[in-house]
Amino acid sequence: MFVLGFHFPASMGNIIPDEKVIEKLGDVDVSDVKEIKLLMGTKDKDKEWISYTNKDTFLFKAMVHYFKEENPEKAQKYMIYMNRYQMSAISKRVDAADDETMKLCHNLDSMEQFRIEVA
Amino acid sequence: MAGSASLRQIAFYGKGGIGKSTTSQNTLAAMSHYFDKNIMIVGCDPKADSTRLILHEKAQDTILSLAAEYGTIEDVEMEQARLWGKGLFDKETPGGWINCTESGGPEPGVGCAGRGVITAINFLEEEGAYDEEGLDFVSYDVLGDVVCGGFAMPIREGKAQEIYIVMSGEMMAMYAANNISKGILKYANTGGVRLAGLVCNARMTDKEYDLALELAQRLGTQLIHFVPRNNIVQHAELRRMTVVEYSPYSDQAREYKELARKIVYNDMKIIPTPISMDELEDLLLAFGLEDEVDESQVGKAAHEA
Repeated sequence: MFVLGFHFPASMGNIIPDEKVIEKLGDVDVSDVKEIKLLMGTKDKDKEWISYTNKDTFLFKAMVHYFKEENPEKAQKYMIYMNRYQMSAISKRVDAADDETMKLCHNLDSMEQFRIEVA
Repeated sequence: MAGSASLRQIAFYGKGGIGKSTTSQNTLAAMSHYFDKNIMIVGCDPKADSTRLILHEKAQDTILSLAAEYGTIEDVEMEQARLWGKGLFDKETPGGWINCTESGGPEPGVGCAGRGVITAINFLEEEGAYDEEGLDFVSYDVLGDVVCGGFAMPIREGKAQEIYIVMSGEMMAMYAANNISKGILKYANTGGVRLAGLVCNARMTDKEYDLALELAQRLGTQLIHFVPRNNIVQHAELRRMTVVEYSPYSDQAREYKELARKIVYNDMKIIPTPISMDELEDLLLAFGLEDEVDESQVGKAAHEA
């Protein structure tokens, strides 16, 4: 079973508890990141930049981890659809009270492409 | 069973037209190119389109067509029936390699296409194709939703051990996925076949991810990957190439690379728990893809309702 790209052994079943995924992000350092910038849209359509700054959320940590993984040059990175859908699904359960995050989740749930940068 | 103990035999099943051959070739290309896996493709579709992107050809000679040409399967040589992939997938190219076979089938409307699958697999086993040095994966690309017993052969005979069902959020694709799960369940205890995951080859319809995920969970398996629709797949196909070869740094190549990685490391192989037709329809209603219809409205035209 794979969530956010992490492998969870089959013995854990086909529904992984959110806290197990959050555990995997335990070592992610977000102290050097002030803002996540997401480019929504494809080259065929109008693009839109979205800024996300709420560092206290699961989504912020998950996105920073996604950006930093295998990206030593810190280049803009395409977001795998399934990863961002999974990020959104977990965020809606663990950070439901945060309006900024819920608004971003609404966008992440769309069929648009996303690219991520951090600053 | 032929082949080494570490050999993994996987199969891609799914409704006709869902994109099995495209998905399987792109995924296998990524497994070979990015993860150095050596693969044999056994195309089990009379269309013989399971290998064209790896071979850069329209269609290779099928095992059945060669048998027909020579009069008997005994006269067919392995070198004629099994071709090495071109470009990145050639045996001489660094990294993994892919070799390709197609079972073929009878003329439309004549004979049993499933028999071609049986004949082809028996031929490949007898000729030692499964014993090729370094072979990591055998992949079967199988037509339809196993209503024909011949097409169930790779699972019935315990050839394919891990089944990946290619589906989408459309009703008939989900119906087929459920039907294939029933087929796997039927042979799970005798042949050891297991469902290894659903691959959503997305049509980009509303709530498609949620729907595919829910079906996967009901079947007791995982949605292993959601493959978005992207025109680059068609552009690559026009050149008879996989996206991995046509544009290895493209967004879509990254999607196939991720699916490939998951298959390489996948250990979730389960006996599925198929659902009833009523449950399937309830699922579509729950996700708003069908409007609930009052029993009194069934069979009435739009202007009558």
